[in-house]
Amino acid sequence: MALVPNLVTFDHDPVADRIALEALCDWCVRFSPAVAIDGADGLFLDITGTDHLWGGERDMLVDLVARLARWGVPARAAIADTAGAAWALARFGARLGDDLAIAAPGEQRAAIEDLPVAALRLEDAAEAQLPRLGLHRVGQLFALPRAQLAKRFGLGLTLRLDQALGMAAEALTFRRPATPWFDRLAFFEPISAPEDLARAAGDALALICQRLEAEGRGAKRFEVVFHRLDGQAYPVRANLARIGRDAKRLTKLIIPKLDKVDPGFGVEVVTVHAAAVEPLAAAQDRLDAEAGTSLDETLAPLIDRLVNRLGEARVWRADPYESHVPERSVVRKAPLDPPAAAKWDLDRPRPVRLFKRPEAITAIAKLPDDPPMSFTWRGRAHRVRRAEGPERIGQEWWRAGVGETDTGPGKVRDYYRVEDDVGGRFWIFRQGLFGVDEAPKWWIHGLFG
Amino acid sequence: MAGSREARLAALRGRIAAIEAGTRTLTPVLPFGDPAIDGCFPGGGLPLGGWHEVTGAGLEGETGAAPAAFVGLLLRPLVKAGAIVWIARRSDLFAPGLFGLGFPTERLIQVRARDEAETLSVLEDALSTQGVAAAVGEAEAPDLTAGRRLQLACEKRGGFGVVLHRRPYGGRAGAGQAVSGSAAFSRWRIGPSPTPSPPDDIGLGPPRWRVELERCRGGRPGAWILEAQEAGHGPHPFRLVSQLADHDVAAAEPGLRYVG
Repeated sequence: MALVPNLVTFDHDPVADRIALEALCDWCVRFSPAVAIDGADGLFLDITGTDHLWGGERDMLVDLVARLARWGVPARAAIADTAGAAWALARFGARLGDDLAIAAPGEQRAAIEDLPVAALRLEDAAEAQLPRLGLHRVGQLFALPRAQLAKRFGLGLTLRLDQALGMAAEALTFRRPATPWFDRLAFFEPISAPEDLARAAGDALALICQRLEAEGRGAKRFEVVFHRLDGQAYPVRANLARIGRDAKRLTKLIIPKLDKVDPGFGVEVVTVHAAAVEPLAAAQDRLDAEAGTSLDETLAPLIDRLVNRLGEARVWRADPYESHVPERSVVRKAPLDPPAAAKWDLDRPRPVRLFKRPEAITAIAKLPDDPPMSFTWRGRAHRVRRAEGPERIGQEWWRAGVGETDTGPGKVRDYYRVEDDVGGRFWIFRQGLFGVDEAPKWWIHGLFG
Repeated sequence: MAGSREARLAALRGRIAAIEAGTRTLTPVLPFGDPAIDGCFPGGGLPLGGWHEVTGAGLEGETGAAPAAFVGLLLRPLVKAGAIVWIARRSDLFAPGLFGLGFPTERLIQVRARDEAETLSVLEDALSTQGVAAAVGEAEAPDLTAGRRLQLACEKRGGFGVVLHRRPYGGRAGAGQAVSGSAAFSRWRIGPSPTPSPPDDIGLGPPRWRVELERCRGGRPGAWILEAQEAGHGPHPFRLVSQLADHDVAAAEPGLRYVG
C-alpha cells in the first residue's frame, strides 16, 4: 500500500464472483448454447457447429475476447478439439504468443507439448511431485510408460492426459442442457422498436419451427432470448399445452410478453431455444377445419393463451385424489393431461362451494352425536330442518407433517349435511368428541347449492 | 281483407326477424324438457349462441352456491359437445360437488382470474373458441359493452355463456345487480327451496331450487321449483316440481331472512 498509494483494494467476495461468472455464462449463450462453468474463473463453450456463424474459429474467438475486453473483462481464450487441451492452451498457451490460441483439429498433442505440467488440471500432490522429478513439460510425460505414471501419480494423471488428447471422454456440466434445438438471429444494426422485436421473435421462432418440422418433431417449451448490446439478456418464454411447432401461434403467445423486454440501446442477437422436444407426426391440414379434429386439439390454443397470460397455476382441471380429507381430495392438473382413472365417491356427497378455511359457527346440538338443531353463521341464525350424517373423517396420521397432536379423538371431524328451513344446504362439522377435555367446536366447511 | 292483413303482418314480422337476426343462423337450443318452462322461450329452450345471467337470491348472491349448482346441472347436457370453462376470482368451486350432481368434471377447466376485467375477457376468449361448449364467468356486473362483446363471442361458435353474478362477501345487497346486461338473453334468480322428507325419512332427498326467470328476450318470465334429476334418469337435468304460483312454499316465504 505504501508503495502504490493509489491502489484500490477490495475484499475477496467469492459469492459475487460466482454470480458474475454465471451472468457471463448466460451471456456466452449467444456464442453457443452449451456453456459450462469451470472452477472459479473459467468457462467452457462447446462450439461444435456454431463457429461458421462467425466465419471461422479465429473470428469467433477474436469477437468473444474483444467483446469481453470492451466491458473490462480481461480474458484469455483458446479453441481445441478437447476441453482439456483448450483449458491448457487458454491458461498457459498465451505465454507462447498473444491471448488467443487455436489448436488445429487433431493437433492438440503438438499444441500442449511445450506447456508446463500444471496445464493438465492435476491434483495438487501430483502437480507438486512432477517438477521434483524433473518432469516440467507435458511432452516429457508422453514419453514415459503409462503404467509407471499411473502407479506413481495416480490414475488422475493418465486420465487428464487422455482427456487432453481426446482419448478419454470428458463430461462437462453445461449450465443448460446441450440441445440441438437452438437457433440465433443476429442483426447488422441493433433493433429496439417493439414491432421489430416482435418480428425478430417471429423470425427466430420460424427458424426453429422449420427445423422441428423437417425432423418430424415438436416442442412444448420455447424460449426466445433478446441479447442487448450491453450484455443483458431478456428471456421470454412460451409454453404449450401440447407439443407443437406452429411459429405463428407461438409468436402470438410471445408478443404480449415483449413489453417486459427493455431494449436499451438495442438488441443485437435473438436466440431461440426449444425444450421438451418430442416426435410429432405431421398433421394433414384439413380443408374442413371445423370438423374432425379432436377436442384436445381444438382446446390447446385456448389453454396456451390462458396459461401464457395468467400463469400455469391459474388454469387447471380438478382431478380426484385418494384422500378422505375434503381439502386434499382434489388435485389440480393441467387441463389437457390424461384424465385420472379414479373417481370421487358418489355416496359421499360433497358441497359445490368449499371454503378454503372452515368458518366457526355456534351450534346447538344434542349430546353426543346428533346434528345441530340450529346454528348461527355470519350473524344469521339457521334452524335445521333436516340433516344427514355424521360422516366421520379423521386426520391422515400416516402423512408426514401430521403431528401426534393432530390426531386422536380431539381432532376427529364429524360432518353433517343439514338443510335449514328455507332449503339452504350446508356442510358443517363438529371437531372433537364430547367427553374429552376440550369441548367440541362446530364449523361450516361448504355449501351445497 | 283480414286474411291478407294477417299475411302482410306475418310477412313483416318475418322480415323484421330476418333483420334482427342479421347474418346469424338459427341456433340450436337447450331445452328443459318441460313445456311449462320451454314455452317461455321463443325457441323452445335456451339458445346456445347467447349468454345468460344467473344471480342468487338473497345471501346466495354472496356465496353463489345454489346458482353454481343450478348452472352445473344446466350445463350437464352440453358436456358432450365440448369442454366447460369456469372462470372465477375465488377458487371455492369444489369439483367433487359438481361431480356429485352428475357433472363430468374431466371436461371442466377452471380458471382463476385476477380481476373482473380479466374474468370477462377470458370468458369472451373461451366462448369464441372451438371446442368449448359453454363458459361460466363469476363476475359482479358486466357493463353493456362487455355484454355486447360476450354476445358476439357466443355467436361466433354457438357457445353458451353464463355470467354468474356474485358480489363480494359483505358487499351491499342489490349493488351490482341494478345493471342488467341487456345483451344477455335471459336473467335468472336462483335460491334454495326446502325439500320434502325422502320416502324412507332418512337424510336428505335430491336438492331443489326456487328458479325465477326474470327476463327473457322474446319470451316471458316465470318462476318454478325445480328438482335435480339424477344423471341416469332421462336427458334433462331438472324435474319440474311445481309452478311457483300454486305452491304453498311461495306464500310461506316472507323474505325476512334475506333482507340483505
